[in-house]
Order: sequence, then C-alpha cells, then structure tokens
Amino acid sequence: MFSILKKCFKKSIWVYHTNASACNGCDIEIINALTPFYDAERFGIKLVGSPRHADVLLVTGAVSRQVCPRLKRLYESVPDPKLVFAIGSCATGGGIWFDSYNVVGGVSKVIPVDFYIPGCPPRPEAILFGVAVALGLVDKKVAAEYLKEKSFSELIEVGK
Amino acid sequence: MLTAKEIIETLRTKFNNHIIKADEKVSNQVFVRVVPDTLVPLIRFLSKTLSPRFLINAGTDLVRQDGKYLVSYIFSFDSDKIFLCIEVAVDAAAPDIDSITPIIAGANWSERETRDLLGINLRNHPDPRRLVLADDWPQGLYPLRRDFPYDYKPPSEPQNKVHLKKPPEGTKVIPIGPFYPVLEEPAYFKLFVDGETVVDCDYRGFYNHRGIEKIGDTKLTYNQICFMAERICGICGFIHSTCYCEAVEQAAGIEVPLRAHYIRTIMLELERIHSHLLWLGIATHIIGFDTLLMQAWRIREPVMWLCEKISGNRKTYGMNLIGGVRRDIPHQMHDKIITVIEKIERETLEVIDAVMGDTSLHVRLKDVGILTEEVGRSICTVGPTARGSGIPIDSRVDHPYAAYDRINFEVAVESGCDIWARTLVRLKETMESIKIVKQCLLEMPDGPIMGEVMEEIPSGREAICCVEAPRGEAVHYVQTGQDNRPYRWRVRAPTYPNLQCIPNIIKGERIADVPIIIGSLDPCYSCTERMAVVDVKTGVEKLYTKEEIIKR
Amino acid sequence: MFISKLKQALICLKAGRVTLPYPYKPSPTPEGFRGKLKVDINKCIGCAGCANVCPPGAIEVIDFDKGWRRIQFHLTRCIYCGRCEEVCPEKAVKLTDEFELSTNTKEDLDLTIEIYMDTCQRCTRCFKPEHPLDKMMVTGFRE
Repeated sequence: MFSILKKCFKKSIWVYHTNASACNGCDIEIINALTPFYDAERFGIKLVGSPRHADVLLVTGAVSRQVCPRLKRLYESVPDPKLVFAIGSCATGGGIWFDSYNVVGGVSKVIPVDFYIPGCPPRPEAILFGVAVALGLVDKKVAAEYLKEKSFSELIEVGK
Repeated sequence: MLTAKEIIETLRTKFNNHIIKADEKVSNQVFVRVVPDTLVPLIRFLSKTLSPRFLINAGTDLVRQDGKYLVSYIFSFDSDKIFLCIEVAVDAAAPDIDSITPIIAGANWSERETRDLLGINLRNHPDPRRLVLADDWPQGLYPLRRDFPYDYKPPSEPQNKVHLKKPPEGTKVIPIGPFYPVLEEPAYFKLFVDGETVVDCDYRGFYNHRGIEKIGDTKLTYNQICFMAERICGICGFIHSTCYCEAVEQAAGIEVPLRAHYIRTIMLELERIHSHLLWLGIATHIIGFDTLLMQAWRIREPVMWLCEKISGNRKTYGMNLIGGVRRDIPHQMHDKIITVIEKIERETLEVIDAVMGDTSLHVRLKDVGILTEEVGRSICTVGPTARGSGIPIDSRVDHPYAAYDRINFEVAVESGCDIWARTLVRLKETMESIKIVKQCLLEMPDGPIMGEVMEEIPSGREAICCVEAPRGEAVHYVQTGQDNRPYRWRVRAPTYPNLQCIPNIIKGERIADVPIIIGSLDPCYSCTERMAVVDVKTGVEKLYTKEEIIKR
Repeated sequence: MFISKLKQALICLKAGRVTLPYPYKPSPTPEGFRGKLKVDINKCIGCAGCANVCPPGAIEVIDFDKGWRRIQFHLTRCIYCGRCEEVCPEKAVKLTDEFELSTNTKEDLDLTIEIYMDTCQRCTRCFKPEHPLDKMMVTGFRE
C-alpha cells in the first residue's frame, strides 16, 4: 500500500487542510509553507479546496465535540489511497486541553493518522520535513527514549 | 470627563434603594451590585444617559459561598477611561434573569453563552437558541458550574441539535458550512438568497469551543494559564496572555517593572504588524489577487524570524508570566530589530503606494459591506471594523495598559464604513506600529524584567483588562481565588462582537461579495470560541464553496 | 490603474527569488529556540518541579517500586513553553534546537526516565541522595 502511495504521491501531493478546533497557529504555518520563502509548491504540494480532490488530509487542532462527527465524514469523503497528517501538538496528543470536557483529545482518537508533526506551532520547515518523511525521502529523527539510572547491584557489578 | 465617583453618584441618586453596594475596587474600575429586578431599568437608564459601551457579561457560580449565581455586565466609558461592572446575584434555586438584549443588541451572544454554560435562564431574549455547546450535549448540564468536573465527557444526546432559521419565502438557501465538502474550518453560515442578492443569514459557530475558561478555573495555576491564554489564538496569542496577566496584576496589585511593560509593548506591536500583513494577504487572496498574497506574506516573514530570535518560537512567544516577562530584549538585539522593521516599513510603503491607485481593487472594495456607525455602535463592534466606520475607539488610548500611556501614536479612523475604509485603517496601523516599536526601543529603560510577586495572590479580588488586538479589543475579567488559581476567568475575543454584525452588513449584498465582507472583519474563530472560529483560511475556503455552488 | 499594476510588478521583480534552500540544506535555529526537550539523567534529582509547572500536564511522575521513581515525558502534547527548563534546580532539563520531530507513531515521542530515590524515614517521600556513595551510606548494601 505504502509503496503505491509513494510512487503516486512523489511528484504531486494535493493536500486539503482541516481545522478541527485549532488555534490558527498551525493553520497559518501551513499556508506559510506555501508562500515564497518555503514554497512547498516546488515539490508538487498543492492546497486544494475540496476533500474530494485531495490525497492528503492535514488536520490541526485537538478535535472538539462539535467537530468530531464532521471530521469523520470529511475523512470518509477523501478518496483512497489517502494519508492523514496530524499537525501540531493539539492534533498529536491533545495539547494543553487534552482532557477538557468538550475536547476529544487528538486526531488519532477519531480517524486513523499516518504521520504526526508535533510543534506548537511547528515551523514551516518542520512541516516540509514531515512531508519528506512521509514520502520516504528522509528518515525520521526521533525515537522513543528510555533512560534508567544504574541500580545498586549494577553499580557493584561495574565496580567488580 | 466623568469620574468613577460621579458614576456611582448618578446611579445612587436614581436607584439608591436598589443598589446593594458600589465601590471602586481597582482604580477606574467601578463594581456595582444591584437587586435583580433593577437590572433592566438600570441598564436602560444607563444606555439613555451615559451611553457606555457594552463589553461582555460573565456568570460566576457562587453557590458554595452564598447559594447564588453572580452575573456581571461589564461596560466601558471609553473617553473617561473607566470600566463599570454591574453585578446581579441570582438565586440558584430559580436562576432566571431578564435579558438586556432588547436594549443592547450586542449582548445577544454573551447572554446566550451565560445561559449555555451556567444555566441562567433568560426572560424576553429574542433568540434563545443554543450557542456554545455542541449539538449533542445533554440538556441541563452546565459545564461552568462548580460541581461539573472539567474532564467529564457526558454521553451524546443528538436530539438537542440546534435548528437554524427557516428561509424567508421566495429565497434559496446557500450553506457555507463546516461540513460542506469544500469547507474546512468550523463555522457554518446559512445564506438566504433571492437571485444574486443576500436577504438574510443565520450562523452556527462555536465549533472550536475547547472549554478554556473551565480548565483555567479548575485545573491550571496562575502562571500556567498565561500559556493557555496564549493558545486561545494562534495569531494574536500574545495579546491574550498580556491581557490576562495585566488583569491579574491589577487585581492583586502587583507592580510590574517598566522594562517589562516596554517589552510587552514591543511584542504586541510586532504581533500587530505581522497580523495586519497576514490579513492583507488573505483579503486580497479572497478577491483573487494572489500577487499581493504572496508579497504580503513575503514581507511579513522577517517579523516571524525576528520573533523567533527574541522569544524562541515563531508564534507562541511564551514571554508573559504574572509580574513580568521571561526573556529580555538585550541591547545587541536592538539594531537587528530596527533593520528588520525598517525594511518592512519600506516594503509596506511600496505596497500601499501600489495598492492605492489600483482601480480594480476599488471596484471590489469600495461601497461594499457597509457598516454604518449607528449599527456598529449598537452591536458594540471593536477594532478596525469599528474604526473603519468612524467610531474612534482604541483601548491603547482608552484604557492604557503596558507602556502605552508613555507612547505617542495616532489612532487611525476612517469614515468610509466600507471594506476599503477597513483596509486603510489596517494599513495605517501597520505604519503606526512600526513607529511605536522604534519609539519603545529608544525609550526602553534598563532594569529588572520581573517584578516582586507575593507568595499567594489574595482571593476575592476582581479586575477587568482590555488589550487592543489587531482585530479589536480583547477583554479579560478575572476574579482571584484560592489554590493559586483564579475563581473565574472570562475571556472576550475581538471577533465575538464583530461577527454578530455579519447579518446586518451582508443584507442586500451580492453573493460574490460575501466572502470578502466576512474576511474584512478579520474574523478569528478560534479566539471567539475560545475554547474559539474564522480564521483566515476559513474565509478562503468559503469562497471556493460558493463559487462552486454558483457554477452548478 | 496601469501605473499601479506596474508598481505591483516592480515589487515582485525587486524581491527576486527568496525561497530558502531548506530541505537540501539545514535550516539553523536561532539561539534560545525552544525545541524538543532533553533530560540529563545524571543530574535529575526527581524533584518533580517540572511536572508541577507543566501547563499541558505532559510530565507524569510515578513511584512504581520501592525507591524507584519513573518520570514520563509525554512529548506528544508538549507545547514547548520551556517552563520545565526554567524551574529545574539542577538544570537537568534542556530544550534543544531539534524541531524535525515528525514520525509515524506516537510512541516515538515518549521519553521515560527511571531514577533511584531514597525514601525519607520521616515522611516516606522519595528524595535523591547526592552521590552513589551516599546512597550506600543510607541504604547499606541492601541488594
């Protein structure tokens, strides 16, 4: 599936941008990525006005209760194959209001998400990087970290 | 010039028996507690004689203290630099109150919000439908009440859906809405059209309600709220956090060092510059003039880099804390700021010069979207929307905050009442902002950037603060409480009153002009619904929707 | 009309080509940029000060075993405000300039540290001995 996607998408990704109760910060950075200094259009990325034309759904925001059913319908109206990007900390993990009464808390709780671009808001560079990761042009740079301090017995082992 | 004492006196002579208490808690902020029955006569008297501008109302749950809900109506005497807060305590057993919307049209939304969130029933309200809460929110559950846990997600009750108005006879309906295939941002307009002409419209917004006020009251601490306030809006975030901080500082009586005030002023004005350039780009994009979109955003980008250098992030500066700011602007940065600002000044002047004589812009923008001064005042519009209609209000002058009382600048007012006038106001303001930043850098005194903050902020204090955002004034009302967090924190974003005038200004216009009319208010939904709707993008997408429908 | 169109064309021409070479060349972040946070486990004393001030509540502290404290940083909802860095008494938390954080799984954004703490004899709360040797002095060779 992904290999087909990669082939089809490489030169022309049409994106549709959805604001699911975001603060506009991420939305403006998305448009910023299309303006002269970052010019995402040189990679064939184009913002389209209808989800039916889109290959990729860019979702920002923590998804409020009112938006939730509409987001599901929007997702269904994007033709397959499709990718979903969650942009910003709110879309990734719910942000500062992740457990509020009117917020679902992250896009992945409503629709399946393929890529996350955290940041509050992410720099336009980070958005371009996210797209590059999705296309398989570069490898992701983050990985889960687990650090553990050495316990006594381990310290003693080292001492021996 | 009225003084706070005179206002209290005037009210006392007329309504002496009905006033429970009246005092000036913070300088130039009058708090008057009245009997519920007197509310409507008092407000009618006020609006006839002293005619203050209505800002917002706020409901507070005081059931645990004295079994009552407190509803505060906040007014502003602009030229006298005074806030007036009329408070009414309603019995919790029968929370009914007379609506003031028949007297002040601008109170419509905020009264409905109090009803939705706190459960205070309105008598004689012209439009008592649900406003803020989601369509499937259960009846009789009020999130701002103290016994409602902030993270409780009630089961769905879809039968509570809000029904929009029925179209008038002989008209067609054009929905511009969130779930329409083309639209992405959560705001739903339903236009009723007769041929090409818009007859009426209805609105369902508040898709972005995130429950910010509730989280602020129950979960976060004073200093954490600064960061949440910043995320009310992604464009004018710093304005909200400044407004919140100033309100708490006034309530608690915290002295903020002068240097911190100057740094706040600089950041506020940088934000205004990038916001106005952003608006210029989006507005011209709406009318299909993409050259200017690209150029305006190109001019704007260095401001973003500058902010990133100063604060560590492009948008959410995270500079404010109660009592001061977190990062200094060192002397070696001044030159850098001046260079960037001067380049923007030069380029913006070129743009203004090129745009002024462009007749194709005049055709689209002049005499379109007329908001008369009278309507503007009755709906209490703010910011460039009001100033474009000849209403000279600007909270930088009317209610000085940060370092604005030490700074000379002109308030741009235009009397054209149309979109072109609003554009001119914004362009002029951009130039003024550049001047203000330069002046601040020159005059900024040395010293600490963080003031002395007491161990515990005393509870039971109240204060109101207005801060002029690029799209109008943001109002924050804070009641301090225990456990290191406010008892009540009410936010009013600038788009809140401005959006309410849309039915008035699009009446009689052609459909093709509707997007730019909505865009000309520079609406920002995320603020409005705080928890908050139009951003820039929405306007854009709406345009496509309509065009597509028209094509079919 | 014609003149203003010319002026507009001139603005575009004057600006020239401004696009940054970002994906091909790295884009440097300015000094003081707030990116992904990093923890120095040798400095952390487990005081949980960061967890107290974190606005989105992204830092979770769990005392899961006798003497062991786990601190989980849920970077999925981190808002990069830098308050943790500001309040850390030992300067163990630092915000780096890393901003290229995109990933396909949320788990990549988890950061967990586990540190050994002593239990105070009086209040039974965990505290951190200054040095491994102090650890032994307090607990003896327990294990």
